[in-house]
Amino acid sequence: MSTRILTVEDDERIRTAVRMALEDEGWTVEEAETGEAALEAFKRNPSDVVLIDIMLPGVDGFEVCRSMRKTSDVPIVMVTARADTHDVVAGLEAGADDYLTKPFAPKELSARIRALMRRARKPDATTTTMRFGDLEIIPDAGVVRRSGTELHLTKTEFRLLCELASSPGRVFSREVLLERVWGYGYFGDGRLVDVHVRRLRTKIEADPANPRHVATVRGLGYKLQG
Amino acid sequence: MLTRLRAWLGRVRPRSLGLRARVTLSFALGALFLSIVLAGTTFALTRANLLNQRESTSLSRVYVNASVVKNQLPDLNPTDVQDVLLPSLQVPNGARPVLHFAGRWFSLTAQIGENSIPAALRDTVDSGRPARMMFDLQGKPALAVGIPLPSAGAQYFELVELDDLQSTLESLGFSLLGASALTTLGGAALGSWASRRALRPLADVSQAAKAIAGGRLDTRLETTDDRDLGVLSSSFNDMAQALQERIERDARFASDVSHELRSPLMTLSAAIDVLEARRDELGERSQAAVDLLSMEVDRFRQLVEDLLEMSRYDAGAVRLELDDIRLAEFVMQAVKVSANGSRVPVDLDSELAGAVVQADKRRLARVVANLLDNARKYGDGATSVVLQRVDDRVQIAIEDEGPGVPEEERHLIFERFARGGVAGRRGSTEGVGLGLALVAEHVRLHGGRVWVEDRADGRPGARFVVELPVLSQ
Repeated sequence: MSTRILTVEDDERIRTAVRMALEDEGWTVEEAETGEAALEAFKRNPSDVVLIDIMLPGVDGFEVCRSMRKTSDVPIVMVTARADTHDVVAGLEAGADDYLTKPFAPKELSARIRALMRRARKPDATTTTMRFGDLEIIPDAGVVRRSGTELHLTKTEFRLLCELASSPGRVFSREVLLERVWGYGYFGDGRLVDVHVRRLRTKIEADPANPRHVATVRGLGYKLQG
Repeated sequence: MLTRLRAWLGRVRPRSLGLRARVTLSFALGALFLSIVLAGTTFALTRANLLNQRESTSLSRVYVNASVVKNQLPDLNPTDVQDVLLPSLQVPNGARPVLHFAGRWFSLTAQIGENSIPAALRDTVDSGRPARMMFDLQGKPALAVGIPLPSAGAQYFELVELDDLQSTLESLGFSLLGASALTTLGGAALGSWASRRALRPLADVSQAAKAIAGGRLDTRLETTDDRDLGVLSSSFNDMAQALQERIERDARFASDVSHELRSPLMTLSAAIDVLEARRDELGERSQAAVDLLSMEVDRFRQLVEDLLEMSRYDAGAVRLELDDIRLAEFVMQAVKVSANGSRVPVDLDSELAGAVVQADKRRLARVVANLLDNARKYGDGATSVVLQRVDDRVQIAIEDEGPGVPEEERHLIFERFARGGVAGRRGSTEGVGLGLALVAEHVRLHGGRVWVEDRADGRPGARFVVELPVLSQ
């Protein structure tokens, strides 16, 4: 069964054109005109990737994003008006995995979707379970436990954690993480990493304000420790 | 006539002086004029007053003396007149009695006599009328009074020296002159103070105007209770408000237009992708048309992006996302990404290996990309990118082998939509003319400078230099 993509966009012409471009990639596209319709469609039949325009009449993109995140780890790409506004950070904090600014090239969107659908990298073929203090990661099963309790991570958060876990103690620069988790080059947006690390900490750290596992190395990047 | 007068006034009027100097000068001249008028009036009045007083005291005394002479004269012989009568008269210091009796002149001193008395006075008294007049007695001012005494067949004169009065008047004159000088100085000081005080609000206005010109459009003058200044500050603030609204409206318009363009662009862009995916199914002409569309939509998208960015600058809404960036690595990556397939050698100063700058990665990358793009469009492509350190700054220089930029166009090419004459001559129709303007804005916001110069090696071509402050080694 082909990958199903839900696009939430109030402009019908954009929706149609984007649908055609995505269908050319071999994907099945569902459309929603409003936030309400999107949530409804998603509840009925969850898709594999969601593309949300932040500027929607009624329930806005942030709200749609937050609602979906309550029940799902589906990769979400949001579309913002500008790259340098707070919208990007707000969208990422609402649970989006990546963003594009309008107008984007459909090829760019396809690349984003493919990157988000990649499976988590296995650090080592023989390793099945990794432990970092009270943290337990099972890459194959996509499971993370803290003190035995299973945590709900999004796919992107999980991939980020697995990257960091692939070399415990090693400092990963934001550029390296952008490339490995999101498939961006050197010029990816570092805020993607920062916000995802923040989100990751609220889930895996006992005290997110004083992180024990995911440490910031000032000016260099992040590292995972036990 | 009038025009000549005006021309003369214009020449005389010290236009080169500042307003404050002119106000000070006017105050000083005013004070000088007033004090001279006052001093002159005071002097004249005082002088007249003193003389009157002296005259009237002298007159009453002279009449008393005259009646003494009239009563005693008939009983005296001529020697007694000289030795008894004259010395017995009540005369103060400086007053000399002179008696004309029986054809002889009597006086207490030899120097004073008939000739001391002005002839005009003598004539009047001769004709039987009393008279008085001011005259010069041996070089000193004096008052002469003459009274005919027909019943005794005599004439009584008295000469009153006024030189004590003269010295009083002189010292008064000097005092008044001194006072005038002081008043003038005081006037100048007052003028200077008043003008400074009156001009202080102007200094505020000028400062505010400078701030507005510098881009701080929300600058306003403080409101004041002063009725005169209130008009100035409120009309200035109204002007600033109108200006701000107008500029913001223009900026918003550009921004709104660009925003509105994004939705159709999005549709176009996606639709062209669909067409391009079917390029092989199209005829030759359709393929060419699709290629044209695709190229133009890319260009259009770039233009809208640049316009939006520019309108953000105009609205003062640009906030840099600052990161510590290792410049050497950054420039290598930026060149690699933006060189459009062609390889541009990056020449690194070894000192720069660890240089870190604080920069907005996305925007600084656009700076490099736009400069490389510019070199590609107008200079046959960049031939090299050179990084070097100059004191506490670092320079990124991008050189090409094109025709270069003539001296007189160098400051113009960073203006919006100001494609240089060079570009026109080269017949390039590419580019939207915002690239270099955005480069200038980005670099400026990073605290740096950008300029274009001749190639360092003297060969034809342009050398664009971006200079940024270095954070650390």
